Amino acid sequence: MEGKSEIVEVKTFPFPAGFNWAVGPMMERFIRTLAGRKVLGARCPGCGYTYVPPRSRCGQCQAAIAEKDVVELSGKGTLISYTNAHVAPDGNGNLKDLEKPIVVGAVKLEDADSVLFMPVEGVKPQDLKIGLAVKVRWREETKGAVADICCFEPVG
Amino acid sequence: MKRRNVAVIGCGQTKHSSRRRDVNVAEMVSEAVYNALEDAQVSAREVDAFVVGNMPGFGGVAQPEQWIAESLGAAGKPVLRIATGGTTGGSVGQGGYYVVASGLHDMVVAVAWEKHSDSKEAGATTGLLHVGLGNFFHAAGYGLSLKNLVATSVVGAAAGVAVYQAMFYMHRSGCGIEHFDMVAAKARRNAAKNKYAHLQWPGCTAEDIAKTDIVTYPFRYGHICPASDGASAIVVAEESLARKKAKQPAWFKGLASYTDEENQLQSENFGGVGVTDPSEQRGCWLSAVKAYRMAGIVDPKTEIDVAEIYQPFPSQELFFAERLGLFDEGTAWMALETGETEIEGRMPLDPSGGVNATNAIGSSAMQRILECALQIMGKAEEHQVPKKVRNALAHGWGGVTNYSTVTVLGDTPGR
Ligand SMILES: [Zn+2]
Repeated sequence: MEGKSEIVEVKTFPFPAGFNWAVGPMMERFIRTLAGRKVLGARCPGCGYTYVPPRSRCGQCQAAIAEKDVVELSGKGTLISYTNAHVAPDGNGNLKDLEKPIVVGAVKLEDADSVLFMPVEGVKPQDLKIGLAVKVRWREETKGAVADICCFEPVG
Repeated sequence: MKRRNVAVIGCGQTKHSSRRRDVNVAEMVSEAVYNALEDAQVSAREVDAFVVGNMPGFGGVAQPEQWIAESLGAAGKPVLRIATGGTTGGSVGQGGYYVVASGLHDMVVAVAWEKHSDSKEAGATTGLLHVGLGNFFHAAGYGLSLKNLVATSVVGAAAGVAVYQAMFYMHRSGCGIEHFDMVAAKARRNAAKNKYAHLQWPGCTAEDIAKTDIVTYPFRYGHICPASDGASAIVVAEESLARKKAKQPAWFKGLASYTDEENQLQSENFGGVGVTDPSEQRGCWLSAVKAYRMAGIVDPKTEIDVAEIYQPFPSQELFFAERLGLFDEGTAWMALETGETEIEGRMPLDPSGGVNATNAIGSSAMQRILECALQIMGKAEEHQVPKKVRNALAHGWGGVTNYSTVTVLGDTPGR
């Protein structure tokens, strides 16, 4: 038999799907502290590995990490890798071309071991290089949300 | 077939409650894992691999094992995720057995969990989204749209099918709604003796439960399990490690898991499948027969000393006890009447309070194995059954509504 059968076609679901995740005390403190333009990390008491954002169990040595192990970081860091994004989602399930590429960088924060992936602004593509010194650029108004970190930008 | 002897050597749980907002999923699961490691007196470094699982998609996290692995101490180690719906914990526990019995690993942690409160409407949203969709969509394959399906009044996931199970069981056994009141009251009383349980009600009576309103006959509000946050973990080891680390290991003696044809959402009609009695649960019966044979158990009525049955609804403790061969067909409610199934009784059922008192879904069938291990190890504290426990039976039920796990643990390897 030719042709397609479309006896049952499902386009929407008759129930909501709301979520409300608990992030745990360490992450909550990290997020709330961003309002004061401060970046927190957690230094493992067992092996010294420092996590950003902070967490309660060390993945390296399994030691428990407590509130007392939370440390304030400078917000400065080093670019250890980067790429350029040329397209972005258009909100309708497709991609749209960007007017100019966005630089996304992996930043290793000063005194931390883990890495944040964030947009990098204020640098010409030809000036991008591994080892570039960068610092957090804060949003004009911070309110205690991850989006308070606008991007990273070159130091000076 | 060559299988190594395998035992549970440590158990760990979190306190179960409606809302563990003080921890994220990784922190909650870790709590159970590190409690189990402490109980077994081993460090995370000594563990070879991890077997993990929760209800697929619950909490809206598609690959939770990726998130929690480092916190569990599983970085750089094999992590096997198993997801079999409501039976997940039973399958995770059996998975722990498989990887050690096979000789692949010597010591593993098996951990299962659920965190309902990460859903905005505990239970309902995540349940409908992830269990409901799976159920509805197989019906779509039979040409039933969602609208038509709702019109048949057969929806309702586990709660929906449990009503039909209960009615079928009542009709064929002579059991009444008052027996469900008794089971639920026992679950809450027993839970009051289990410090990790959720719905604790010391001295709860059948009359207390009977005062609660009917939801869908024969179930009252007082019959229905809570939606809990929590995790449970066991440390599983091969024989020489088990004997070295544990005073009384809880040995895996027999296990099996079978599925029935789906008996929900009228698929037995529309799918042309022959399951007509949803309380028949042939998968449970087959699992029990196979597990007993492997364990060398000839007469479960006398050789099983205590059973932890998966009973989110009180009717299930009764008909599953029969399907598991612990009572003759249609007689479990009579044993309930005479107190045989109490903690001090001849055949204690769910001394922990069971799923009826604590239901962190993914964790629930794991808790049955864990509770049986505690009874054999003599570590069940206030809800320890007074008699010597040689064999304990752990049952899991779920999948959609038709997948069963049966695990027999014992005080000796038995082979
Ligand atoms: Zn460490």
